[in-house]
Amino acid sequence: MKKPTYSIESPAAPLVQRNWWVYVVLTLVCLVNFVPYLWVVMTGFMDGASASSATPAWFFTPSLEAFHYLIVEKGIMKNFFNSVIVSLASTFFSVTIGMFCAYALARYDFTGRDDVSFWVLTNRMMPPVAVLIPIFVTFQTAGLLDTLVGLVILYTAMQLPFVVWMLTGYFRDIPRRYEESAMVDGDTWFAAFRKVTLPLMMPSITATSIFVMILSWNEFAFATFLTSTQAKTMPPAIMAYSIGADIRWNVLGAAVVLITAPLILFVLLLQRQLISGLSQGTVRK
Amino acid sequence: MSISERTITAPSMALGQRGILSRFGPSNRAVFPWVLMAPTLIILFAIGIYPFLYSLYIASHNVILSKPYLPRIFVGLYQYQALIQDPEFWHALRKTLIFTVQAVFIEFWLGLGLALLFQRQLTGIAFMRVFILIPMILPPLVAALIWRYMFYPGAGLMTYYVGGITRALGFGEIPFLSDPTVAFQTLVFVDVWEWTPFMFLMLSAGLASIPRQPYEAAEIDGAGSWRVFWTITMPLLRPAILIAVIIRTMDAFRTYELIVIMTRGGPGNATTTLNVFLTKTGLEFFDASKAAALSLIMMMIIIVMSFVFIRVFRSKTEVAE
Repeated sequence: MKKPTYSIESPAAPLVQRNWWVYVVLTLVCLVNFVPYLWVVMTGFMDGASASSATPAWFFTPSLEAFHYLIVEKGIMKNFFNSVIVSLASTFFSVTIGMFCAYALARYDFTGRDDVSFWVLTNRMMPPVAVLIPIFVTFQTAGLLDTLVGLVILYTAMQLPFVVWMLTGYFRDIPRRYEESAMVDGDTWFAAFRKVTLPLMMPSITATSIFVMILSWNEFAFATFLTSTQAKTMPPAIMAYSIGADIRWNVLGAAVVLITAPLILFVLLLQRQLISGLSQGTVRK
Repeated sequence: MSISERTITAPSMALGQRGILSRFGPSNRAVFPWVLMAPTLIILFAIGIYPFLYSLYIASHNVILSKPYLPRIFVGLYQYQALIQDPEFWHALRKTLIFTVQAVFIEFWLGLGLALLFQRQLTGIAFMRVFILIPMILPPLVAALIWRYMFYPGAGLMTYYVGGITRALGFGEIPFLSDPTVAFQTLVFVDVWEWTPFMFLMLSAGLASIPRQPYEAAEIDGAGSWRVFWTITMPLLRPAILIAVIIRTMDAFRTYELIVIMTRGGPGNATTTLNVFLTKTGLEFFDASKAAALSLIMMMIIIVMSFVFIRVFRSKTEVAE
């Protein structure tokens, strides 16, 4: 049944459309959500004097003083590349390993399935601070303190529950008969999985990977306590440079620019996949 | 099952890997899922179970990290008993619960409102969505740093503009982070700022999956939009609501960066939630045993909460179907 006067895409939309106040409300929300970030980014391009003035300076001559300090004097790019390596590697491992677990949970009806799935989730419930001391001791004995390998192992384990829960929902959405018919045609299980299931799963796997990568990139508590000089990632580095005895706001701003630039770029490029992916996995469980 | 065991095994047997494959391979439907899950379970076991057992061990002893020379004495359940008798623990628990309930409640209604507004397919609305999502994309650490700056006396935008307005009205400065009550509400505000986009995203997804027919039926019956909202949208949105609320509750309960960076639990202990209390006990006072006992209690609370949530969620969705 099509409405005669106008057509709207969504069923939940109200019938009467008075739009000007919607624009006002949404513009306000956008401002509230965006201006604090914008302001800190702007501060990053100020010189020390305008950044520390008590009256907000909306117009100023841009300066790269703070970036120079962080990149040349403090060598923050090393932390940046540590972060890149750790988040890429842990995303790759957690998605590759978790994928098979999710597949098993979605496809097979074995005893204890619900228990396994709940147990996997409980691994995400421990507050990070609570497992910090035992993990610290373990890492110390294994020689993993302040190494990228240690962080990759830890983040892989941390992201696995999330990957498994997201992907289990997606696998359930894919009808099982596709693989079955491939196997009837003579493919092995793995060939059917690779040629039929995996391509269908690619959008969801991409969305999950983006999420996991963002979570690893942002991780703060473990990175702070488990690294010191060699493997320090961006979050603890930024904490160290931006909160001190005397706070230099432009350094804080520049640090925020450096840590968020990849995130913002990512989300702008992959917005669509991110949103559609999230809506599939979480709601249709 | 639509295909027999034989059709699956035949090709793999032809490959000549009969020994291992027939025992653990895809044809064995009882064992194969465990083979697929093994890597995940082993890793989670290694990284998850060990800290858990270690915490159990430490919590039943008397270990102070800064005094490693002291003998480790077995104290049984003393640490738990000491915590339950500690008024600071109950204070922190109360603060945590108030923080979680306030934040999740406000985030839910704001997120729902936004999601409903976005249902109107207006021009330029996709563009606005990026701006609305920004707080959620930022690392929690950065969100906390940004607001610490915003509220910093003599430097931040909030203290300058909001403080300017209140000064003009004769109220003086607002003690955003220096008054116990105001500081707590400031933290709730920042949490709402940071995580309402998440609620918005989850609920938008839920709204998108609601079928069209009930609305058409309601239109024919001439139901008003308020009534349509309460009798159609809300019940059909329930699964999405529950998932969003569970995830947010679990995360709000463990909020760490925000509080540690903005107030460090102060002024006094006004914003000392369980997580901050835990950090102070373990990493400032080095009382590893007390911290371990506390972390186990916290984990129990979260597990019980999510168990209840999942139960409620399952029964409600079954009713809905």
